[in-house]
Amino acid sequence: MDINFTKEDIAFRDEVRDWLNNGGYPKHVKEKTDKGITISKQDQIDFHKALAEKGWMGYNWPKEHGGTGWSATQLYIFNKEFGLAGCPPLLAFGVSMVAPVIWTFGNDEQKAKYLPDILNFNTWWCQGYSEPGSGSDLASLKTKAVLENDHYIVNGSKTWTTLAQHADWIFCLVRTDNSGIKQEGISFLLIDMNTPGIEVKPIITIDGEHEVNSVFFTDVKVPVENLIGEEGKGWTYAKFLLAHERFGIASVGASMRQLNKLKKIVSELDNPELDKKIHELEVSLSALEITELRLLSALENGGHPGAESSILKIKGTEMQQNISQLYVEAAGEYAIMYPGPHGYLSNDKPAGPDYAANSLSAFLNLRKTSIYGGSNEIQKNIISKFVLGV
Amino acid sequence: MNLNYSEEQVMLREQIQKFCESEYDFYTREKIVKSSDDFDSNVWKLFAEQGWLSMPFSEENGGLGFGAVELAVLFEEFGKALVIEPYLATVVLSGTLLDKSNYSKKNDLIEKICSGDMHISLAYAEANKNYDYLNSDTTLDNNILNGTKTLVLNGGNSDKVIVTCIKDKKLTLVIIDSNTKGVSINSFKTIDDQSCAEISFENVEIDNDAIIACDLEAIELINESINLATLCVSAEAVGCMESCYLKTVEYTKGREQFGQPISNFQVLQHRMVDMFVESELAKSLLFKAMLEVDSNSEDKYKHVSALKSQIGRSGKLSAQDAVQLHGGMGVSEEMMIGHYLKKMVSIDALFGNSDYHLKKFAS
Repeated sequence: MDINFTKEDIAFRDEVRDWLNNGGYPKHVKEKTDKGITISKQDQIDFHKALAEKGWMGYNWPKEHGGTGWSATQLYIFNKEFGLAGCPPLLAFGVSMVAPVIWTFGNDEQKAKYLPDILNFNTWWCQGYSEPGSGSDLASLKTKAVLENDHYIVNGSKTWTTLAQHADWIFCLVRTDNSGIKQEGISFLLIDMNTPGIEVKPIITIDGEHEVNSVFFTDVKVPVENLIGEEGKGWTYAKFLLAHERFGIASVGASMRQLNKLKKIVSELDNPELDKKIHELEVSLSALEITELRLLSALENGGHPGAESSILKIKGTEMQQNISQLYVEAAGEYAIMYPGPHGYLSNDKPAGPDYAANSLSAFLNLRKTSIYGGSNEIQKNIISKFVLGV
Repeated sequence: MNLNYSEEQVMLREQIQKFCESEYDFYTREKIVKSSDDFDSNVWKLFAEQGWLSMPFSEENGGLGFGAVELAVLFEEFGKALVIEPYLATVVLSGTLLDKSNYSKKNDLIEKICSGDMHISLAYAEANKNYDYLNSDTTLDNNILNGTKTLVLNGGNSDKVIVTCIKDKKLTLVIIDSNTKGVSINSFKTIDDQSCAEISFENVEIDNDAIIACDLEAIELINESINLATLCVSAEAVGCMESCYLKTVEYTKGREQFGQPISNFQVLQHRMVDMFVESELAKSLLFKAMLEVDSNSEDKYKHVSALKSQIGRSGKLSAQDAVQLHGGMGVSEEMMIGHYLKKMVSIDALFGNSDYHLKKFAS
């Protein structure tokens, strides 16, 4: 056993660090994220385009589709270093969600049409999964697609659609058949967001931010060639996609960065209770990190870590939430003040620590992490069913 | 022993509940929050008409002479409805301080508070004092006031401000008009949709008759006022906790997934049972604290600290669980449930958080 990375892995880590620190990571984006300022659509595009230019956009793609072909360990290092550098989370919808579905189940025309644009971040994708009546029970979804000649006519609505307001395309699970069990009769459709009949309405979250949306479809005409794979097989593709969504879910790097910053803040407060809570989180974070490495190591040795990866979702999101909670405690009395996601105007800033507003913002925003991507309750069901076998 | 509310107290609760249901539903509250005002002055007038603004003042000063129990009832109900009107700032923090003081002009001020015609804020906090409200860098020398106060609740809307300061090395309370020359006020929104201000005083001239109290009397007035306010926000938290579990039970019964209401799942049932149990335990500590305050016992500070320490932890956890069990709806601004979480964060931060009060309780 050896807990250290190989020389090659260390060299790779240094290459990633070098890119992040020496001009690869766009400066104007870094300045904003370091200050906790919400980044714009253009900032997101600049960040992802820079990554594409370096050839790293396909970080979890095989080489044959233009990806990096990195090992699981390299992928882990890449993700951790980006988190440690405070980068905004990479937008997963195109590159690591729909793309693997397209290259695995799509036809050659679809691969040629969509994959290069994803790899160059020319298209912004969003995910049309959840519906008002279908959250944890996704397979009960009702958005209907009826084939008429060479088009599907789509009617229904999707919800919690992240950044749909910026998206060019949405990949949707739609119901094409009602006759069998609910998992059957679901199909996987790619829909151009500019198609007439699509309406995007913002959902404002408790941090005051506009990140998620409702998307309504009224008689939306979708060409039949936008169907991925076979009609009625969408649920299989969705499950396949979920396996790819696990990438980086533990957010170890980002949590380390946040915790290190917090330690500096708290070291000046003379607050032993808070010190103790931070030490407890440090231990938990170490446990989380090594757990992820163990799963990684099993994977590199030909294993197939399955439901155990739900541990990473549960503990990773709890860790993010707990760290944000301690920032709020560190803000003390100033935790009652919150200007909204865009902060105070510079000449209008009240007394109190600079981190107070961002702390509140993060604390409120991160509540979602234990709800989305399969709520933590669902993750525990998965572990009990597939790991414990009960 | 009798740990039951009196008939009058039950009637008071029903009166407040009825008001909140008919005049202060969440939709109405949202309209107030999104308006350009920090609160609704018509609602404030209605509070005055109901007699609520007179509740805690002694009868000889024109009040109803109600105690901590009645205030706690009011704040529990305010917590359930997430009322944003500045009762805490004007009536509790400033009003009860004046009521207990020997200040010569207090009767006129209390009368105006009762009628709803005046708002007064208490400027007790300064930056980096870490909840030590008796420690102040604001000075009063030769009747000239200098210094900066922070987190002044409702400070942007007040006609007058009561300021803690140091005169001849002793804590002193002065009251001044907000529009006095040399007073500048910068108002900010709070996380729970109220407002607070940073107020600075630059060579502000004070009349001799503006001094409310000095030294030990001032210390006692501040301690009592903050302690009562701490009790009130804790009662508000207890109201929030009750609403959190009730609303979560209601939501999970109506939300169907996997062909059945999600309330059928035992794991959610136990979470909701925990929320209920924590709400009851918090209520018990509230009973103890409000009765100690009403009997003016030596232990009144200690038991308010016990309560505040407990609700700082369990209240936030209950609200977090309520959000979690509401799923995406829990984090959406248009649902009430997420606003309880913001309220609990705000309450924990006010007047010393959970850790601070646990230490105070132990000392």
